Formats: sequence, structure tokens, C-alpha cells
Amino acid sequence: MSGKNMEEKVEQATNSKNISLPVSRVRLIMKSSPDVSCINQDALFLTTKATELFVQHLALSSYKNGSGKETNTLSYSDLANVAEETETFQFLTDILPKKILARDYLKSLEEMEKDDENL
Amino acid sequence: MDGDSSTTDTTQLGITGEYMTGGTYVLQTQDDDGDESFNDHEDGNGSKDYFREQDIYLPIANVARIMKNAIPQTGKVISGNFKNVSCNLGSKDAKECVQECVSEFISFMTSEASERCHQEKRKTINGEDILFAMSTLGFDMYVEPLKLYLQKFREAMKGEKGITPVTVSEGLGEELTDESFTGQLPAGLITADGQQQNVMVYTTSYQQIPGVQQIQFS
Repeated sequence: MSGKNMEEKVEQATNSKNISLPVSRVRLIMKSSPDVSCINQDALFLTTKATELFVQHLALSSYKNGSGKETNTLSYSDLANVAEETETFQFLTDILPKKILARDYLKSLEEMEKDDENL
Repeated sequence: MDGDSSTTDTTQLGITGEYMTGGTYVLQTQDDDGDESFNDHEDGNGSKDYFREQDIYLPIANVARIMKNAIPQTGKVISGNFKNVSCNLGSKDAKECVQECVSEFISFMTSEASERCHQEKRKTINGEDILFAMSTLGFDMYVEPLKLYLQKFREAMKGEKGITPVTVSEGLGEELTDESFTGQLPAGLITADGQQQNVMVYTTSYQQIPGVQQIQFS
């Protein structure tokens, strides 16, 4: 088998497998779930591939849903919004809390303290 | 990194475990292949004390790339020239956030798949478990494309006799399939010419064996 032939084969195979995320890292994350012992090759591949689809899905949904279309920007708040509004992404609401500006938060704290004083 | 999970029991070591537990470990593996060993110990409790699941992420560069490619590029006119502009992912914020979401997603799928696995009294999570989890958790739309990808993947694997790609070998520790062992072995048999296919054995005193051609070396 010539060198070039080998190269082509590997490239072809990589394209067919078509993964752009490190499988070993995916496996690590999977293993950190409680009670997980063995993961077979298919499961690992499917999870990795699904994760890619998920990233695409999340990014696109957030972008479409968000205000960034005019400015061509994807921001954190777009993600937080899509998590709240889309059923599929609702499992993310805990890790995507809507952000509040520090000064607004401090303001509301002040107001709460005032209320306490008045009581 | 200490690969021996038996040392995580700090009472045995007689030292305070403070430096081992409670810390946040963001995994930075330089060599993704070699680091699997510490994770292969199957005693469930030991290896999990090293890290919390929320601290393990996929590399931000990979994640960002997928995000950018997913979002349609817009055409913009910049100083008189028409340019294709990809989406601005803003500060690190959005990217890091997606990183965390990804880990969450993987854990979410895995625990669902794991549950099903246990229900059916099996120890190994297989492809079906994952697909089932996707379907159950609202990611039904991934299932069909994933099945196709899996098919392609299997075909690619079969066609790769002798080539063991990095992306696949990680999983081999879990379950070895027949395919992983097929390799092209070099032909090691030397057959002699002649009507009878005999292996030539050279001895100091050779006899004339009928039917076998003699080879003379000059």
C-alpha cells in the first residue's frame, strides 16, 4: 500500500466518522455520572456526535431567538432566554440564570433593607 | 497525577484529606490518550473523588468552532467590499457558558441511559440506551441523524483494517469488538515453487525430496 493511498484512507475514515470533539473527554464526563461503569464504543460515539448536534442546536436557537441578529452577535442573555423559553433546553435553566446588573441588585438590596427598617 | 485510586482513602494514608477533596479541578489533559488509566479503575467511589462533574468541560476552541459554523454567516459590506462575516460570539461569556451546557447535556443523557441500563440489569451502556435517553429527554430530532452517523462510523471502522484511529481507541477499553482486532498481517509463509507447495527447510545436509524443486545458490 503506497503512502498516498494510506493517507487517503485515513482522511476518508476521519470524514466518515466526522467527529470534531475529543472522545476521551466526553468519556470522562460520562464516567463522572454516578453508577456508570462501562460504556461501549457505540454509546461513546453517539454521545460525542449528539453533543456536536446539541452545540449547533443551542447556538442556532439562541441566535435566532435573540436580539443579536442585527448586530450579528450571540450573547449570554440569548442563551439564558432560550433556556427559559424552549422546553428542550429547560434542563439548562439552573446553569443559565438570567443575569442582573450589579447596580440593580444592590439597589434592590437597599430597598429591602429600607423595608426592614420601616417595620 | 496519581493513577492509583486506592490512595484516595485518606484514612488509610493517615493524612488530612483537605488537599484532595473539595477542590475544583478543571481537567487539563495534554495527552488525551494516555490519561485514561486512572479512570479505568472500576471501583465506583475512588476515582470520583478527584473531580466534580461540573468541572469537566470540552475544550472551548472546539465548542466555539462548532457554534460559529452553526450560525449562518451574514454578508456585510465593509469599507466597500462584500465580506462574509461569521457571528461574533461576544466575550468569552457565551462560549464558556455553552461549554458548561455541553457538560450538563452529556451528564443528563448519561444518567438517563445509565438508569435504563440498570433497570435492565445490564452493566454496559450501549448505543440503544443513549438513543433511548435522547428520545425520552426531548432530543428526539437527533435520533435519526445519529443512527445514520453510527452506520457511517461502523462502515468506516470496517474499512480500516490495520488502522486504529485515535478517536475510536478510547472506547476500546470498555468493550472490545471483533472489528478492533482485524488487522492486515504480513504474509509470513514462504512457499517453494513447484507442483507441491512445500515449505523449504534448509538443513546442513539436505536430501533429495521427490517433487520438490531444489534451489541452488551460487
